[in-house]
Amino acid sequence: MSSSLQRRFFAYCVAPSLAVLAVVTLLPSLYLLATSFTPLNLTRPETAWDFSEPLISYRQLVTDDRLGNSIWVQIKLSFWTVLLQLLIGVALALLLNIKSRLLVALRTVYLIPMVLPPIVVAIIWKVIYTPDISPMHGLFRSLGWNVPALITDPQWALTSIIIADTWEWFPFTMLMVLAALQMLPQELLDAAKVDGASPWQLTRHVTLPFIQGVLLVAGLFRLIDSIKAFPLIYILTDGGPGNLTEVTNYYSFLQAFNFSYLGFSSAITVVLLAATVALSWVIIRAVGWGVRVD
Amino acid sequence: MSRLRRRTILGGALGALAAPAIHAQGGKPYNGTTINCSCFQTTYYEYLKTYFPEFQEKTGIKVNFTMQAFPVYNQRTDLELSTKGSAIDACNITFIYSGRWIGAGWFTPLDTFLKDTKHTPADWDPDDFVSGAQSQMKNAKGETFAFTHEAGAMLNIASRYDLIEKAGLKMPTTFDELIKVCDAIDGKDGVKAFVADKLHHWNWIPYLMGYGGNVFKDPPANLTPIFASSEGIAAAQWYADLLMKYGPDGQLSYSDDQAMRAQMSGRANMRTQAITWGVPLVKDPESKVAKTTRFALMPAGPKGNFPGSNSHGLGIPAGSKKKEAAWEFIKWALSKETINKIVEKHGYPAVCRTSVIKSPKFKEVMTLNGQDVAALYLEVLQLGGKSGYMKYRTVPVYPQVGDKINKAIEKIATKQQLAPEAMKQAQAEAVQDLKKAGFKVDEG
Repeated sequence: MSSSLQRRFFAYCVAPSLAVLAVVTLLPSLYLLATSFTPLNLTRPETAWDFSEPLISYRQLVTDDRLGNSIWVQIKLSFWTVLLQLLIGVALALLLNIKSRLLVALRTVYLIPMVLPPIVVAIIWKVIYTPDISPMHGLFRSLGWNVPALITDPQWALTSIIIADTWEWFPFTMLMVLAALQMLPQELLDAAKVDGASPWQLTRHVTLPFIQGVLLVAGLFRLIDSIKAFPLIYILTDGGPGNLTEVTNYYSFLQAFNFSYLGFSSAITVVLLAATVALSWVIIRAVGWGVRVD
Repeated sequence: MSRLRRRTILGGALGALAAPAIHAQGGKPYNGTTINCSCFQTTYYEYLKTYFPEFQEKTGIKVNFTMQAFPVYNQRTDLELSTKGSAIDACNITFIYSGRWIGAGWFTPLDTFLKDTKHTPADWDPDDFVSGAQSQMKNAKGETFAFTHEAGAMLNIASRYDLIEKAGLKMPTTFDELIKVCDAIDGKDGVKAFVADKLHHWNWIPYLMGYGGNVFKDPPANLTPIFASSEGIAAAQWYADLLMKYGPDGQLSYSDDQAMRAQMSGRANMRTQAITWGVPLVKDPESKVAKTTRFALMPAGPKGNFPGSNSHGLGIPAGSKKKEAAWEFIKWALSKETINKIVEKHGYPAVCRTSVIKSPKFKEVMTLNGQDVAALYLEVLQLGGKSGYMKYRTVPVYPQVGDKINKAIEKIATKQQLAPEAMKQAQAEAVQDLKKAGFKVDEG
């Protein structure tokens, strides 16, 4: 078979999948983009395909202080959750990589938060954070500590979301890093040991460069997921108190589904999508995919 | 043979052919029809569901009834109605969405059914529904889009009246007295003096009006927000202090149900809220405060008493393809007989039919701990209906404006912002939102 014939054959094979992909992802995205250029409001059907002022929603974005606040909250939430999940995930993966029956059994236990449905996780934390019924608050009270309700305290509301999100998702990083660690060739470690490397030097110069690519992928996944944060905020704080935990994604949801401003909400979502893609590209360019050992 | 004659004969023949079929269905023309209905979680339909087999037996119509939490129901239904799809045949028109859903033409006018005696017998008596409650289910032309199944009348509900008595006081009748009572009983027996849920745009407004403020300038004609007036700022600060000084820790995240549970378990005392959330304190078998619960009118402010009242009705979405069957359901669900049955067997308090409210049975059911709560209920409903001060709540943009109020009260209560700053910011955001929705507001 000639190479051009072979290429055509492969193209035909891939075409149906690409067509399905285009229908399920590209078309809705295009519709979202088109909607963002209209002032679509569900209670006013005439606004559905009104392109007379295509930039009206984007102009409103610029003057919307609450949107600006939501972006800042989003940055804080994403920064802390991704950082903590990477640190805790790596630390636990290094620990669980030690050969021990007990630690092997523990691996499964650590995965539980990640496999629970997000809404269940949110309800678990709602119980933990509600003073009247919370075992945590019960314990604090028995110790004589007066701890306020965290989700309604301005100093603690965002932190309480960060804690719950980190608890839910550190197993993801842990799992990915653990898988990478188990692929680490023993020869590399042995060679470094022969050269007199200390345990810290082994980690710093051999292990971490080896898992750098996996860390990047895990971090990117978590970053993108953190921008989609929803159930915890919906159940625990409803964006409050005030707007302290109102991230951009949640603000966009409110605009679309509570107030029917679908055009405005689409504009927020388009900007959010563009920002996520740009951020991912910058991170990949800055960090790189790590060392490849064949 | 003329055309008319031929048609008459053909019609007659078809009728004769169809008659045995209807007869075979036991005289039930809707036999085999299934209708989809929905509402937010409410005790009325919880009770009514047990009688659905009776309705099916009578009409042949099977009812799929789904209920969701209040905000979830409103979001889903808002979206569903906007598509004018046929997924729902009968559903609740929520009070704060009534202006929006009816105004957008998302519901079917019921007048055609009402005028036709084939569909509605005279003894169904549509005029029996309390006019104040029913007015929110009509448009400017006076067409009716729903009949009310639940009316909310805000009362002051004390779960531990014994503590108030022990302090030598009575149920407060003014804002000042409310603070005095709270001061005297807060923390006694481990009970916080006051509790509220997080829906401040419902709970706070009577206090705003009591101080002489309002949400809009002249709803529904002029929707310029004015809640950041000096009266509004004073009322917001007063209410935020009430919550933070006398309320249980964490109440800013309380749902309706959580606030009720706090009262029911004896952890919090007074709450100004719709009667529906007060009756279970006396009637629920789990209640620890059944004997100590008392009801009173909402305390009055310097400018008067403006207890919240609202109503939710059952209507037929414009896209439904089974409108006649849906009307059969509404007729049955809200008939005098059915409502009387729900009152008698379950003690349902939020009734909207005058004949039921005035019946001795309702009075008996609503005499709670020796108090005639039915009279208080009717008094609040009539107050709301007479002066129309509840109109602010039925304008199409209230969900947006209410959200700004909620956020402002939270910011003041948690000391993120001072009251003037928070209220002015909320009002500016509300103006921006109104303009986004295409409404004109007064400048300056």
